[in-house]
Amino acid sequence: MANAVEQLLNALALAGLLFLVSAGLSLVFGILRVVNFAHGVFYMLGAYLGFTTVALTGWFWPALVVVPPAVGVLGAVLESSTLRFIYRRPPIYQLLLTFGLALILEESIRVLYGPTAKGVEPPPLLQGAINLGGLLYPRYRLFLVVLGCAVGVAVLLFLRLTRAGLVIRAVAQNHEMADCLGADVARVRTLVFGAACALAGLGGVAAAPMTTAYLGMGIGVIVDAFVVVVVGGLGSIGGSMAGSLIVGAAQTWGAFYLPETAMVIMYAVMGVILVFRPWGLLGEEE
Amino acid sequence: MTRPRLLALAALVALAIVPWVLARHQLSLLTDLLIAGLFAMSLDLILGYTGMVSFGHAAYFGLGAYASALVLLHFTQPIPVALLAGAVLAGAVAVPVGWFSTRATGIYFAMLTLAFAQFLYTVAYKWRDLTGGSDGIAGVPKTQLFWGGPSLASPSAFYFLVAVCVVGSLALCRAVVRSPFGRALQAIRENERRFTSLGRDPRPFKLVVFVIAAVFAGLAGALFAPFRGFASPEVMFWVFSGQGLMMVVMGGIGTLVGPILGAMVFILIQELLSSYTEHWMIFTGLVFILIVIFLPGGLVGTARRLGARG
Amino acid sequence: MRRRRFLALSAATLATPTFLRRAWAQAPIKIGMPAALSGGYAQYGIQAKRAADLFAKDIKAKGILGRPVEFIFEDTAGDPATAVRKAQKLVEKDGVKFLTGVALSSEALAVSAKCPEWKVIFMSTINGAGTLTTKSFHRYFFRVNTSGPMGARAVSLYLAESPMKRFFALGADYAWGRDSVASFTSQITAAKKDIVGTDFPPVGTKDFASYIAKIRQSRADGVFLVLPGQDATIYMKQAHQFGLNREVKPIMEILELENMKAVGDAMVGAIGSSRYPFTVDTPKNREFVKRFHELHGVYPDMFDGETYEGLEWLAQVITKAGTDDVEKVIDAWEDSTYEGLEGPFLMRKCDHQAVQPGFAVECVKDPKYPHPIPKILATYPGDKVTPKCRTEEFS
Repeated sequence: MANAVEQLLNALALAGLLFLVSAGLSLVFGILRVVNFAHGVFYMLGAYLGFTTVALTGWFWPALVVVPPAVGVLGAVLESSTLRFIYRRPPIYQLLLTFGLALILEESIRVLYGPTAKGVEPPPLLQGAINLGGLLYPRYRLFLVVLGCAVGVAVLLFLRLTRAGLVIRAVAQNHEMADCLGADVARVRTLVFGAACALAGLGGVAAAPMTTAYLGMGIGVIVDAFVVVVVGGLGSIGGSMAGSLIVGAAQTWGAFYLPETAMVIMYAVMGVILVFRPWGLLGEEE
Repeated sequence: MTRPRLLALAALVALAIVPWVLARHQLSLLTDLLIAGLFAMSLDLILGYTGMVSFGHAAYFGLGAYASALVLLHFTQPIPVALLAGAVLAGAVAVPVGWFSTRATGIYFAMLTLAFAQFLYTVAYKWRDLTGGSDGIAGVPKTQLFWGGPSLASPSAFYFLVAVCVVGSLALCRAVVRSPFGRALQAIRENERRFTSLGRDPRPFKLVVFVIAAVFAGLAGALFAPFRGFASPEVMFWVFSGQGLMMVVMGGIGTLVGPILGAMVFILIQELLSSYTEHWMIFTGLVFILIVIFLPGGLVGTARRLGARG
Repeated sequence: MRRRRFLALSAATLATPTFLRRAWAQAPIKIGMPAALSGGYAQYGIQAKRAADLFAKDIKAKGILGRPVEFIFEDTAGDPATAVRKAQKLVEKDGVKFLTGVALSSEALAVSAKCPEWKVIFMSTINGAGTLTTKSFHRYFFRVNTSGPMGARAVSLYLAESPMKRFFALGADYAWGRDSVASFTSQITAAKKDIVGTDFPPVGTKDFASYIAKIRQSRADGVFLVLPGQDATIYMKQAHQFGLNREVKPIMEILELENMKAVGDAMVGAIGSSRYPFTVDTPKNREFVKRFHELHGVYPDMFDGETYEGLEWLAQVITKAGTDDVEKVIDAWEDSTYEGLEGPFLMRKCDHQAVQPGFAVECVKDPKYPHPIPKILATYPGDKVTPKCRTEEFS
């Protein structure tokens, strides 16, 4: 019984992390129609900047507040100086541009931080394990569950209830019409890209105490993020939540019962969805 | 003689005399570049002419390499047998993968090719008995040209084999894209909806070109295995597919010969830069971004545009 | 950054008087190092380079056979195809006769397979794959470092004496992980102990929670870990967060400084084998550590030490042969001995594996150092830890 609860919590914690990473990817695709291959590197950047913040201030909480906007600003700057010029071109160009950005950013991080992984300690409040009726469970993982939910709800409410959210959804549906109606489409795109990078950065900060900040964490997470976004639906935040839960559960139980075939099963699931229902569970049919 | 014909003739002559002009290691490097060029050119068939973005093309290169490696190492057949095995295996796997993948379009197609390619990569990585697993298959020999024929072990002999394969493949691909079939592909790339509304089904066309592209990629892989002497899962990883896409864009989408040049430039830049700095990835990324933004036609595309103006 | 040619010649030329300079104007002895200097495995290639930098400095004055030594580095990014391309360039363009510093076993297998064709010596100072000295062995290959099976052997010998009885084996799902777990399993069961579970997580696993749950459920006394550097770091962090390390002792086939620096205090108490622990207490090693720390500002990790030993031994063997002609160097190297940093080495003729001491170590905290360090628990003589020739069995 304790084992089943533990597995459930593991799946939820992993889902929380996956959601933070993939929500931004889903948004960028839904609204900008760009597959952002640099997304994983913004996640990695968040982790490394989190390490630096903790090293400078001695506290973890400031990292959660300071790092995502910093990563977001960097993303916005990059978007407005490169991607903005090639939106009219066939999608392959944008895709490959993000690929090139990923190369540059990843190597820059290596220049700045060196090849050794950087450990980040969770804040004292979240260290150690909590006793849940006989089961000792790490507090930091519970925090990830809470953080994932909170961010998900916040983004959903923002998109549904605020005026800015309305404009963003309008641009996603029909950017030419939105432009005619007076929306500053270019600015919306930059903001969304920046926000997506900020979310990825937040994911990185959140992941660092669990996985350390290391080179290659970007490439390692991007395929997972693609699977989540495909399963849930490109462009849907609710879809990302659903996708994260499904993938998190599949990976957690898969690792427990069938570790060697877990990866293969993931790709098979991704393939089946793409063939029969490419817009995912909660995406919009095109 | 028209200028393109003159250039083509000059290129052929250059390729023919190169073994007597270049130093040994330069010849090896050129052989390497030509193999990568063949891979990139095969990708151009689906990317440049049909508008399909595939993130799984490296899988066919890998399949070709493994088939070739196994035939040469365990059965010591002449090289053409290995080349055939590689091309056939790649094409055979491309049929079911292509059939499923072409059910989707656009970004979904790209993701699907990624999923299939990663699946194949995982199989190669784990099926240790057949593929050597993460270690790969090493010690692949260069055998003869045909049973009882001359050995292809010398650098110049193998170079000629690769050059002939690449030039031949280029000629074949050009014939394909200039045929009515090729024109249909380009129509699909321009506007698939219109193609459908004219009463034609794009799927069979896409499937056929997908398989043809896979066959040529498999040929490139089959040349790679005896040249480098090994086959390993890394050549099937999606990052290599991404690099293939970069080579095509650098050289010029939809020009066939452009991607060959693009592959050569891409690798040469890395070779030169990595001797000077271990941070060569930053410069490669910068060069690439500049080309994407300012020279969307790639090297050949831009050259043709400038040539047309002048 | 300048091109990676480390010419010991220039500084020495300026220092020596003119009449001696004529003797120096001979062809340098060239050593090629196609190392993984970028990418996910850069930390291993960088260790090889650090060792080479120190060694170049150490022999600057004398050279080898009175000739200057030239190191030429190339970056392979940890990719076997690139490794072969760079190695071919080093051999065909730069004319090196010795290749070393290759980081990954997959790269080593690919490059080494070409060495008989190129007629150059491949000296492994990092690669642990058993097959390099068994199935894939050839005359031009020499392994100076402790191999994977030897590391697993040292661990098994130590555990045979310990009170721990039940072990879980967690190996990454690729060649090294599988082979090492198999080797450990056969040795530990021969020592009348039990394997209560095995698992093979994919390389690059980020979340070990499920495996940690399984290990805890198995009630093992210790868990034998064969995970690549970053995976091992992540496992140690997460196992610590779950409190597993208190219940199940982590035993690592290689206990590296890289992991200790990244994980920190959470790793204290882990035991395992080290290919070269910098805490070996001999005058020669203490002096080496001091020089290394002065030059690089860090303490030498496993591959720093092993590469340095390889280079020093290679220099001695070339001197003994009186020439850098590859065939003569091979003959001089076989059956030769060398007094290394870790102890005495013997280069076996039958498989070119260097027989050397094996170490069981524990990760401990020491206030003199900025990070945890490996404390030596036991030292085993070479013949006890080296498998019988061309086999995976031990005597």
